[in-house]
Amino acid sequence: MSDIEYYRPHDLDEAVTFLARNGATTRILAGGTDLMIDRRAGTLNTDCLCDVSRLVELKRIEIIDDRLEIGAGVTMNEIVHSETIARFAPALKIAASQFAGNQIRNVATLGGNVAHCSPCGDTVPPLLIHDATAMVRSRSDERAVSLADMAGGPYHCTLGPSELITRFVLKPMTAEMTLTDFQKIGRRRALAISRLSMAVMARQEKDRSIAFIRFALGACTPTPHHFEAVESTLLGKIPTETLLWDVGGKLARQMRVITGRRPSAVYKEPAIAGLFVRILYPLVASSGKPVAP
Amino acid sequence: MTNHYKQVGHSIPKIGITERLTGAPVFSADINLRNPLILRVLRSRRHHARIRSIDTTAARTIDGVVAIFTAKDIPGKNAHGIINKDQPLLMGDKVRSLSDPVALVAAKTDTAARKALDRIKVDYDDLPAVFTPEDAMAPDAPAIHDKGNILFTRKIKRGDPETAFKACAVVVEKTYRTTRIEHAFLEPDAGAGYVDDDGTLVIFASTQNPHYDHQAVVSILGLEKDRVRIIQTATGGGFGSKLDLNVQGFIGLALYHLKQPVRMIYSREESFLATAKRHPLTMTLKTGADKQGRLIATRATIICDTGAYASYGIPVASRSAVHATGPYEIEHVDIESHCVYTNNPFSGAMRGFGTPQMAIAHESQMDLIAAQLDIDPLEIRKINALSVGSVTSTGQKLTASVGIGECLDRLGPYYEQARNEWLKEGDIPYRKKGIGIGGMWYGIGNTGTKNPSTAKIKLTPDGRLTLYTGAADIGQGSSTVLAQIAAEVLGITAESLHLVVADTQRTTSAGATSASRQTYISGNAVHIAATACASALIAEAAALLDLPASALVLSDGNVIEAAGSTRRVDFARLASRLLEKKKPLEWHGVFDPDTTALDPETGQGVPYATYAYAAQLVLLSVDTLTGEVFVEKVFAAHDVGKAIHPENVIGQICGGVVMGLGFALMEEYTPEETDSLKDYHVPTCADLPDIVPIIVEAPEPTGPFGAKGVGEPALIPTAPAVINALAHALGKRIYQLPASLEKVLAVSIETGHYGPKEA
Amino acid sequence: MRIHFNLNGKAIAVDAPVGTSALSLLRDYLGLKGTKEGCGIGECGACAIEVDGKAVNACLMFAAQLDGRTVLTVEGLETPSGLHPIQEAFRDHHAVQCGYCTPGLLMSTHALLAEKPHPDHDDINTAISGHLCRCTGYKNIVSAIEAAGKNPGGKN
Repeated sequence: MSDIEYYRPHDLDEAVTFLARNGATTRILAGGTDLMIDRRAGTLNTDCLCDVSRLVELKRIEIIDDRLEIGAGVTMNEIVHSETIARFAPALKIAASQFAGNQIRNVATLGGNVAHCSPCGDTVPPLLIHDATAMVRSRSDERAVSLADMAGGPYHCTLGPSELITRFVLKPMTAEMTLTDFQKIGRRRALAISRLSMAVMARQEKDRSIAFIRFALGACTPTPHHFEAVESTLLGKIPTETLLWDVGGKLARQMRVITGRRPSAVYKEPAIAGLFVRILYPLVASSGKPVAP
Repeated sequence: MTNHYKQVGHSIPKIGITERLTGAPVFSADINLRNPLILRVLRSRRHHARIRSIDTTAARTIDGVVAIFTAKDIPGKNAHGIINKDQPLLMGDKVRSLSDPVALVAAKTDTAARKALDRIKVDYDDLPAVFTPEDAMAPDAPAIHDKGNILFTRKIKRGDPETAFKACAVVVEKTYRTTRIEHAFLEPDAGAGYVDDDGTLVIFASTQNPHYDHQAVVSILGLEKDRVRIIQTATGGGFGSKLDLNVQGFIGLALYHLKQPVRMIYSREESFLATAKRHPLTMTLKTGADKQGRLIATRATIICDTGAYASYGIPVASRSAVHATGPYEIEHVDIESHCVYTNNPFSGAMRGFGTPQMAIAHESQMDLIAAQLDIDPLEIRKINALSVGSVTSTGQKLTASVGIGECLDRLGPYYEQARNEWLKEGDIPYRKKGIGIGGMWYGIGNTGTKNPSTAKIKLTPDGRLTLYTGAADIGQGSSTVLAQIAAEVLGITAESLHLVVADTQRTTSAGATSASRQTYISGNAVHIAATACASALIAEAAALLDLPASALVLSDGNVIEAAGSTRRVDFARLASRLLEKKKPLEWHGVFDPDTTALDPETGQGVPYATYAYAAQLVLLSVDTLTGEVFVEKVFAAHDVGKAIHPENVIGQICGGVVMGLGFALMEEYTPEETDSLKDYHVPTCADLPDIVPIIVEAPEPTGPFGAKGVGEPALIPTAPAVINALAHALGKRIYQLPASLEKVLAVSIETGHYGPKEA
Repeated sequence: MRIHFNLNGKAIAVDAPVGTSALSLLRDYLGLKGTKEGCGIGECGACAIEVDGKAVNACLMFAAQLDGRTVLTVEGLETPSGLHPIQEAFRDHHAVQCGYCTPGLLMSTHALLAEKPHPDHDDINTAISGHLCRCTGYKNIVSAIEAAGKNPGGKN
């Protein structure tokens, strides 16, 4: 371990210039919480750490035109405390607030969580409901990468060695949304790995019919997966409990098609349907929840 | 209630708290040593195999590696174990479980030590392995130890259950199962040591039983007793796991050969892999009651999986059998508890010795019988609760301090409120609420065996007092409680009493910090020593002041006239007078509770001198869609005899309740799957319900100031109360712990709570 | 590499390999044993320290990440006049049993009270639910933090 070099660029250009030259033998260090686990396990096989945690370019949270941009170096607690995110991506705030423990939320970054490509990454579902893309820089290029394309498989990030995620671009929540939420199920109330998680954003008409819906499922598929059928089935319909059970059941079966029948499916299948009903229940008339936000 | 005592009954600051608050280097991993070598152990990673050879040649060439030891380097007896010495320090001929130690490396750095582990080559012949007690008991099962796989059977027979069952209005027979539980104390096992100028091996250890460690290390190394000294360092929790010899033997072996300072710290993963677990129990109970709900007969078959080694397996089997009735009077019993070897990780002591598992079974049976007879669950417990004059399953007549009735009574108002109001409040869609009660009793000290404690009080010529006790304080606060007991008797403050604790060169054995025994047993030893000291001081003062001894009391370092005159003499003066008379300035106390051995065939006898009792009430709600359980409130009534330090009692209750919630809902140790704190979940602060501790004091005449114990009782009723509350909420019972998301959701589906409700 | 940072009010420089954890830097290189290792993987909080006013797990941080930062450990809490008011609150509310989780919890409490001098129950829960304690059942720890919040100056 004494062989590792440590490099801390002063700005983004320095960072990507360094990565262009040394990316293949460098690991990008942001919060460090995942790299330290690798180090302890003896699997941090790298010559160099490039510490991007102090780059101000990666720390911005702002509305630009009609986009919400969140820097890749923004920590979970910075998300939790951001008024901009509370207003324009509240489900992300909820997910960040339930992420690991407070000490980890103080250092773990959004970019790190997404690039780690864990199937249980809790920030992914809330990013998906905002149609988020990652902006990825290299010395010569900037490109937009969808979250689905970022993960080549569990814990496998498809980005090149000289590439760095700089920010995420989200469609901000609009004022007329009826419901936005993130919920996760773990074995305990804190420090829990998600058994499953869901994020949703929806708008209802006055007659309670669903005019817009984005839905994402977490911790159930190897990589982020957009369940379009869920959204298209609900769109235009007036949700009832029966409808939610029906769609939730279909969602669970779809999950099984993707993952194959695993031992965990005995729980996950009914729990997916159950959590689906629970998270969308406020859309149902009998919930007593108003349509207007 | 007014407290007439000046020390007892007061929640003084815990002794040793400042060091812990300031981060002083008091734990084994922290203490300062000159360039200690680092010790690491190679573990088998095989379930059952014969060792053909161990080749350490390559490992020895690694830079920084100082020595590698195997079984043949052990100078004494290569065996340890609290009761059955069936566990080699380093395996010689075969390995019986994944964690079995095969070689010990001493190196200058941890990196070198770890590299060496990778380079040691062990050649094994795998043997057939068994992973369930049922398989292990089969006639053709592979023998894990030479004497066969059934380690021990405890039988308790009384009355005529078969005939009695026929007369019962209701008979319920069910099987309950619990899983392996990890103690998950916060400080991973650690120790250190050096060789003293006079050649004594000085071993610091995170331990619950330094005097046992001493015996074990002496035997392994074949040394004279005075060549080994064990000093208990600050111990970051134990809960039973640090009763076994964990790092101590390895440190001793390295010191013996190398004579230079060493340190050994288990990683968290190694602590999970290599230390004892709570015994998984399979418990089949048949319980019969009459129409009025009075329990008449019970038959119990209990199987304890002790894994590859006995550790505390026999006490677990014995204690689970004795406690199988729960805190209820049952005339006819037929109980058999078997302790069986398997190739699983070894099971040992964990907070309650089988009683927490047993309580799942007997408390579930109570609710099942109550339901069949349409009797209220609280009521059926009151009907059957032990009381003064009751006879237990071992034929012991209880003569005093039976507080289960009062515990149940104290829950009454909360129970009524919960049923009449809480249950009906705040209807959340898809949530079901449940109320559950758990009761327990717990015999203080070891089961039907001698388990004495000793203590010493010493007076210095300048009048200062020192308490010597071998009792290891592992965070529960025994040092504080013992100091309070001594100080109360000696008329000084606990803070002014000097303490020497758990150092085998300076203290005599107080027995293990286990079985909730230190307050009662060591408390009594301390009380006896302090009383002897006080008597001697009073006698001397009486002569000096020319007053009858009965007129004198101890107060603030003086012997004074009780009537309140100014006549007094301070301890220093009395000390010098005693010295002049060549009287020793130290007083000893020995206490061994009044028990008898249990008959091997009938289990009849007096296993414990006294019992603690408790009942808890749990209010929870279940998400029927996901299986999540939300424990909202826990009311915990505990009969402790007398709370010497009420805040310590409350601390034990709250800690026990939360550990009980983990046992009930989330904890399950699976080797190689849940062997870190990431995958093995214990409750966090976010899982904390509103806990209402209720202290009940049914004084124990033989206890110090009436005290009994609370450490283990705190945990025992919680899980059964949760299981009963879940059954109440969902209408169907879970028979196998933990009541995980998976099991709760499965019950919710089976009972039709899960699924569309609209027409 | 050489790492410069402010530790408990003093500017220091220390040489350590890049792969060293902040926890090892404190314990093994600087001899400050108050910060404990409970799990090594950020799941228990025993190693919590304060970096630039925020509680972090020292086991999940490279020592190099401390470069240029201000670090507070449990050794830096005590004042010349004695225990810090947070330490007093933990003592007075019997929030310590074995004491192994205590230094980490003190640091999280210190960071919390600096940000929110009068935290409510949810704030406390958020701040400490990344810490495991197996002894106390947390109740007295929560009480101690509440009390420290109500009485920031302590007894003095």
